[in-house]
Amino acid sequence: MPDPKQSASVSSAAGRSEAKAWIVAGAAWLVPGLGHALQRKWARAVVYFVTVAALVAVGITMHGTLFTSEGAADAFDFLGYLSNLGAGLFYFIARPIASGAADAAHASGDYGTRFLATAGVLNLLCILEAYEIARRRKP
Amino acid sequence: MKLNHFQAMLLFALVISIAFGFLSKRKLPDRVKYAVWAFFMFILIGVAIGWAMYPFSR
Repeated sequence: MPDPKQSASVSSAAGRSEAKAWIVAGAAWLVPGLGHALQRKWARAVVYFVTVAALVAVGITMHGTLFTSEGAADAFDFLGYLSNLGAGLFYFIARPIASGAADAAHASGDYGTRFLATAGVLNLLCILEAYEIARRRKP
Repeated sequence: MKLNHFQAMLLFALVISIAFGFLSKRKLPDRVKYAVWAFFMFILIGVAIGWAMYPFSR
């Protein structure tokens, strides 16, 4: 017969593990690589931070467009906003810099827009991995 | 930053390949091998798609 006290402690441990995983995911969104750093995966933390930062930096210097929720005229703009938002703090740092410098008229501006979007989407993959590591589904 | 198309593609492929190497593999030699493979695949496929679009550009 299952011990009710043991079942309760197992489910409470599972609940704490789930909560910890969500906190790790939130940290990973806010600062790329932080979710991995919190779990002592230092190499991955540094690499993800540097790669997302590099994509954002290149996107800004190439005068890419950074989408905002207010400026989202259609579904594609809104998707662009969501992808940019995936970069966490980098998005909010980049907003005042990129807002006046976007150049959609030239190819380099278009490439910059893709770099900025990719930064956010790449960080979403990193967030997912951090969450999976916290849930002990990945090493 | 003034990059031509090919330079932008190289830089993009380099950064993404490094990230993919760390996302996909655990040991450093495996990560490096995967990143190098991914980098060349990005370039190859990018150039191939460019040539595939060429007849429609004129």
